[in-house]
Amino acid sequence: MTPPSALLAIETSCDETSAAVLRRDGSRTRLASCVILSQDIHRVFGGVVPELASRAHLTTIGPVVDQALEEAGLTLDEVDGIAVTAGPGLVGALLVGVMYGRTLAARLGIPLIGVHHLEGHLFAPTLETPDLDPPFVALLVSGGHTLLLEVTAWGSYRLHGTTRDDAAGEAFDKVGTLLGLGYPGGPAIERLAATGRAGRYRFPRPMLDTLGQDGPDRFTFSFSGLKTALLRAVQSSADLEADRADLARGFQDALVEVLVAKSAALVEQLGATTLVLGGGVACNRALQEAARRRLEGQARVVVASNRLNTDNAAMIGAAGSFRLARGERAGPTLEARADLPFPGLLPSPEPLSSHR
Amino acid sequence: MWLALDTATDRAQVVLGAPGVILARAEVVGARRHAAELLPAIERCFAAAAASYAALEGIVLADGPGSFTGLRVSAAVAKALIRARPMPLWVAPSLLVCAAGAGVGPDQVVLALSNALRGELFAAAYRVGPGAVEVVLPPSVLRPEEISLRVPHPGRIVGPAAATLGAQPTWPDAAALIGLVGKAGGVTRVVDPARWEPEYGRPAEAQVQWELKHGRSLADPSRAGR
Repeated sequence: MTPPSALLAIETSCDETSAAVLRRDGSRTRLASCVILSQDIHRVFGGVVPELASRAHLTTIGPVVDQALEEAGLTLDEVDGIAVTAGPGLVGALLVGVMYGRTLAARLGIPLIGVHHLEGHLFAPTLETPDLDPPFVALLVSGGHTLLLEVTAWGSYRLHGTTRDDAAGEAFDKVGTLLGLGYPGGPAIERLAATGRAGRYRFPRPMLDTLGQDGPDRFTFSFSGLKTALLRAVQSSADLEADRADLARGFQDALVEVLVAKSAALVEQLGATTLVLGGGVACNRALQEAARRRLEGQARVVVASNRLNTDNAAMIGAAGSFRLARGERAGPTLEARADLPFPGLLPSPEPLSSHR
Repeated sequence: MWLALDTATDRAQVVLGAPGVILARAEVVGARRHAAELLPAIERCFAAAAASYAALEGIVLADGPGSFTGLRVSAAVAKALIRARPMPLWVAPSLLVCAAGAGVGPDQVVLALSNALRGELFAAAYRVGPGAVEVVLPPSVLRPEEISLRVPHPGRIVGPAAATLGAQPTWPDAAALIGLVGKAGGVTRVVDPARWEPEYGRPAEAQVQWELKHGRSLADPSRAGR
């Protein structure tokens, strides 16, 4: 089964209203347009307010879809498939995109597919690196998730590690607030850390020691303690203005070291030749550079451009195109689910010792 | 032929028809079912009436106040239906739908009440005549004890929260929504359906707290990127 020749994708899982069009030229899928409308209103709250996000999606979904179609040079009647984020995310926000996409698909009589937001992040690099093919290891790091995955084939994933508390991006946001940098914290911390001195603050590397153990926590992350350590350093700083950049550098170095060490260890354990970094935190240059340095000569590190790593509909289209090509279709009662399970998860791996 | 949608309360209503003529109707009880079942309910109505979307003159929607999520369910569906085939969107307050469904003549004021949570009610009062609607009290958020000051002697009390003032609760009937089409003061034409939003009746709680703290309105400077 071939994927649609003109796929409309919709993403409204959090605070970006996004629509994209993917065109199929022969065997290749090409991104024809991607419109992302960011809701700046949440900045003053220091985080996303679900009700405000839902309201904003409702008034912007139509214009954003129209702009994506216009930029792709298409009319709605030429669209022959729709992919929409069905979860996970803010359920009220997701619902706007799901209801809009579902209704359009029903009226146009075209296939619809509900896409898992994180599978979208996994597919994002394929839009710019078409030769990206499994098997590979993927680290998906965003404001809501930290997942270390083994991708055995598209649609077939084994989860090796996740966070037991804060997601990596959540830690960036909370530390951004602690340092008075506002929301979202990631880009501001990265900018400030670039001017900070390495080593002046050495924060704990949470759960790095479990890498040396053969147990279920080998690839588990935890960032809550790191955030607390930074809070203590902020509280004991005599001159926060002077220390801020060094604190940001110390925090980022600690977080990046843990993410890279665990990702590289899984690459080595599996003998993988590719590591994919995805999600909003993958925009962090220090993370990208550290991963490339650590895996130089061993594995290539593939990262999508920033525009495709933050929440966007293009990645939803890429994942949706794959699933539609497999013949999958959403039913007429497709619902938004805040806790949508990751599709295609294989049984969890057993500790190495069990194979000895 | 008009498609009427009301998802402001726990009971979602779909009616296909014209003023005085109901071709088909469907109801989805339970707010958690609205998102999944509204569109199939609409399709069922078209099938039951053996009608096509091409025959639709427009959509008429109960636009709140009511359940925030419920209002967005029908609003998103209506917007997409209109995007797929351009047609007019008309709206009426959810409380007017309750009042119009009471079947009371223009000689009496009908007070309609629904739950606004936090000990408050959404309240509105109307005289509904055969050709026109007179607004006695526009949709307002009031404490129960304030209502009698604003509407001293209603002839009938209706709506999901009517029991608060000792009356029998009633639910909106989307057939009444269609009945409001063509009545002066009954429905309002939406100029730009794509950018339109329902009358939520309340701002988001986080916005209320922020504005109280800062003493000014919250702006919404969104930015578009490509």
